[in-house]
Amino acid sequence: MSKQLTIRTMPQEDMLTSGHGACGGCGLSTAVNNVLRVLGPDTIVYAPASCFLVFSAQYPISALKVPFIYSAFENTGAVISGISAGLRRQGKASYVVGFAGDGGTFDIGLQALSGAAERNDDVLYVCVDNEAYMNTGTQRSGSTPFGAWTTTTPVGKVIQGKRQHKKDLMSVIAAQEVPYAATLSIAHPGDFLRKVEKAKGKRGFRFLHIMTPCTSGWKTEPSATYELARLAVETGMWTLYEIEDGAKRITYRPKEMVPVENYLKMQGRFKHMSKEDIETLQKWICKKWKMHYEPDMVSPVPRSEEEELSMVEEDNEGI
Amino acid sequence: MKVKVLSGDHAVAHAVKLCKVDVIPTYPITPQTLIIEKISDFIFDGEFDATFMHADSEHSAMSMAVGASATGVRTFTATASQGLALMHEMLYVAPQTRLPIVMANVNRSLGAGSGIWAEYNDSMPERESGWMQVYVEDCQEAMDAIIQAYRVAEDHRVMLPMMVCLDAFVLSHTVEKVLVPEQSEVDAFLPRFRPMNYLDTSNPKFINIAVSPAHSMEMRYQMDHLMRGVAPFIDEVDEEFSKMFGRRYGGVIEEYRMEDADYALMTLGTATSTARVAVDELRAEGRKVGLIKLRFMRPFPHERLRRALEHVKAFGVFDRSISMNGFGPVFTEARNSLYGTGVPVTDHIAGIGGRDLTVQMFKEMFQRIEDSVKGGGRDCYWHGLRGEQI
Amino acid sequence: MFEIRFHGRGGQGAVMAAQTIAEAAVNEGLEAQAFPHFGAERRGAPVMAFARIDTKKISVRTQVYVPDMLVVMDESLLDIEPVADGLKDTGSAVINTSSSPENIDLGKRVRCVTVDATTIALETLKAPIVNTAILGAMAKADPLVSLGSIKKAIISRFGEHLGEKAGALNAEAAQRAYEKAIIGESIAKRQQAKRSMWLPTWQDMPAGVALHPGEVGGMKVGPGSAVQVRTGTWRTRTPRYIEERCVRCVKCWFICPDAAIHRRKDDRIDIDYDHCKGCGICSTVCPARAIEMVRGARL
Repeated sequence: MSKQLTIRTMPQEDMLTSGHGACGGCGLSTAVNNVLRVLGPDTIVYAPASCFLVFSAQYPISALKVPFIYSAFENTGAVISGISAGLRRQGKASYVVGFAGDGGTFDIGLQALSGAAERNDDVLYVCVDNEAYMNTGTQRSGSTPFGAWTTTTPVGKVIQGKRQHKKDLMSVIAAQEVPYAATLSIAHPGDFLRKVEKAKGKRGFRFLHIMTPCTSGWKTEPSATYELARLAVETGMWTLYEIEDGAKRITYRPKEMVPVENYLKMQGRFKHMSKEDIETLQKWICKKWKMHYEPDMVSPVPRSEEEELSMVEEDNEGI
Repeated sequence: MKVKVLSGDHAVAHAVKLCKVDVIPTYPITPQTLIIEKISDFIFDGEFDATFMHADSEHSAMSMAVGASATGVRTFTATASQGLALMHEMLYVAPQTRLPIVMANVNRSLGAGSGIWAEYNDSMPERESGWMQVYVEDCQEAMDAIIQAYRVAEDHRVMLPMMVCLDAFVLSHTVEKVLVPEQSEVDAFLPRFRPMNYLDTSNPKFINIAVSPAHSMEMRYQMDHLMRGVAPFIDEVDEEFSKMFGRRYGGVIEEYRMEDADYALMTLGTATSTARVAVDELRAEGRKVGLIKLRFMRPFPHERLRRALEHVKAFGVFDRSISMNGFGPVFTEARNSLYGTGVPVTDHIAGIGGRDLTVQMFKEMFQRIEDSVKGGGRDCYWHGLRGEQI
Repeated sequence: MFEIRFHGRGGQGAVMAAQTIAEAAVNEGLEAQAFPHFGAERRGAPVMAFARIDTKKISVRTQVYVPDMLVVMDESLLDIEPVADGLKDTGSAVINTSSSPENIDLGKRVRCVTVDATTIALETLKAPIVNTAILGAMAKADPLVSLGSIKKAIISRFGEHLGEKAGALNAEAAQRAYEKAIIGESIAKRQQAKRSMWLPTWQDMPAGVALHPGEVGGMKVGPGSAVQVRTGTWRTRTPRYIEERCVRCVKCWFICPDAAIHRRKDDRIDIDYDHCKGCGICSTVCPARAIEMVRGARL
């Protein structure tokens, strides 16, 4: 792994082909396709009940070129463990990847996830996090941020939006001392690809947590997906880091914290938020910011030329 | 062949080893734990080369079994009662995707007001799931049923998962003489597993994706049609098994002293053994009674049952579980089989929650069956119930 | 009984429109029902909704196959779906379009009402949510349910969901659409082929909900077969590639959720219009403004 993977050098074959039924502007599709491009054709995919399952295949048609199986909602960790065990038994080295949403990971799937992590089964678990149960029409999950509207945390006369903060899932995973865990953003392709490649190169339980903006659940313009993913990192709503054999490393550090309001105002799910609620969320972010960035004295990883190019965001302002 | 003294659970474990199962996801629950403990002994001692998986729940154990089986390897798991209930969602996946997983279920009562003793209210509700279900009578059959199960399940004319059901404690923890076959005999009887649908990157296939109303109905009919035709394969495999091992179970049902019987009772599980004694004693008194041992609840042996009962005057069914305000599930199926034959059928609930079944109880059942010819009686009797049944 | 079939795209509010016409009918003392046709596809994908109106209690719960009224909320659907299938000869069609009825080719000549609901919605609601404007045009197409009742139903349903002010604005959109809708007759040029779908018997159905890549009954099936689905028909905005500005960073290729940007050998790109849903992320990610979004389904 001397030469780092970049957008330019990454494999180009689509394992998730065109013609799938995701909403226009779906961040999840971008995430899944690029993870699969890096993993390549020798990959077996599990999808629990999720948007991904529903948009990627409907009998007899499938947008996935690689073998694909589904069974239930709460068992991603278990099914991929079983697939891996069956393959290894036959001496096959295919990559086994499960793509579960935040509901299927933070909430109903946490037990099976934790089991797979504890056994250190040879699988890649990818959580595509769009911060609510989007497949069933935007209900609150353990991943939904504070203040957000969902259909089960409506903007009511008495209570407006979710009253609890987003679960820190990565800390749960980190506590299980897995070989590799990382957070990813589709707005940071170089960082994204490096992490997928690193996960691909390791054995044992690997976890990738990707924030995937959702145009219909977040009530945003389809074209805003990239900008939302970028701003999430700049505001501190999302932090890019990796934990490798217990050592945490921040992989991208924003120059300065952008006020969360800039991120919130782009999204219908936050538009009702009161000043006080925005302050509450901002305080939470400041705490997280401190937790992630201040004790971490390791400088950000050097970026390749391509990645520097890919980070030219200034040109995209004001869209 | 070796003679051993084994519990029902350990007989199952030995059979799993003899069947050279590849992947075994497990989760402990009484009274099944002896099975997975013994299997782990085999594996940890290096006597058995299999992948043993420690699941975080029965739901995950069945999920792992589905995942592993879907790659094309022989798979086994075991459970009981609440564990089976937790698996419920996942049970429906294996039949429709044609994954021939074999699972031992140690029948144990389920729900509140329940203990850890034998009752069939855990496995009976799962007869809708598409799994084949065999109920075994003794430790030898527990072992043999596992071997037969893989042979039937993995036959490409079948390719359905099978649940081998054995009674809590009365069988799971009872030791008996068991003839353990040689590995070479089992190898000769049970061919290598050839999967039907499996995940393979060199020949990609999807297995179980979302299905719209435009296709799901044909899939369901296909499964129903398949299950309706499986019984003869089971009979066939039992026949071949008897040639190899010298033991015969009758396939989907076994008839005991049914020649010239006027009154017949159908039992399943360990109850059959005790009922045999009741039949022998009544026969000694000159009463023309016979016994049918129901081995398979799915596929239900409608045809063979009708044939076996062609000449009886009355028929009774033993049930070790009850559908509230309905009947025992075996009775419901059996009466459907006999619809239109005019034979009076009565249901005999006993042994609920693991209550001991005595020879006397079965004799009482035969008395009720004889009386049913006169008419005017109930169609369901509880045996051993304190207080009058009203 | 009067049966209505709505054709729209996920996110356009076809279901809400069907529910609102049902509520309006009930307000007039009639009986009514409205229900969606749930598919697996998402925002932008073609969807249907149904409504029935009668003077007595409605028992039938099947989908609507022979509608009295056809409502097409997105003109582009005419080219991709046989929307007029089963429409009664005596029935009417309400189409969201800037064209007049005599330019609407439904494959049959029927009473046709056209309205530029998108423009009305943009002017009145500042958003392209066309369902309330369409409801106004429906009142013009058939007086079965009066404009007054429709407006009342809009105020009640939309008001409840979006607030009083939004309710009033949506009612205004309906009023304006009623005034601007043009009554005429459609033309019958196109011959819409029935969509081919592989519908095997149970004997022909491969076992186990599983398929290898292959072709059956004229359609691709199995892994990778979705490429035959032309999601480009969902598009309402279209990316234009300005090659001379391209810096070949291929960020657009990376970010495209639909794998609808193809890389040339020199890392310039081609846009796959058969599959591009027109989301426009590619244009926001481009550091060189080499992709512009243009309104409309094609360039």
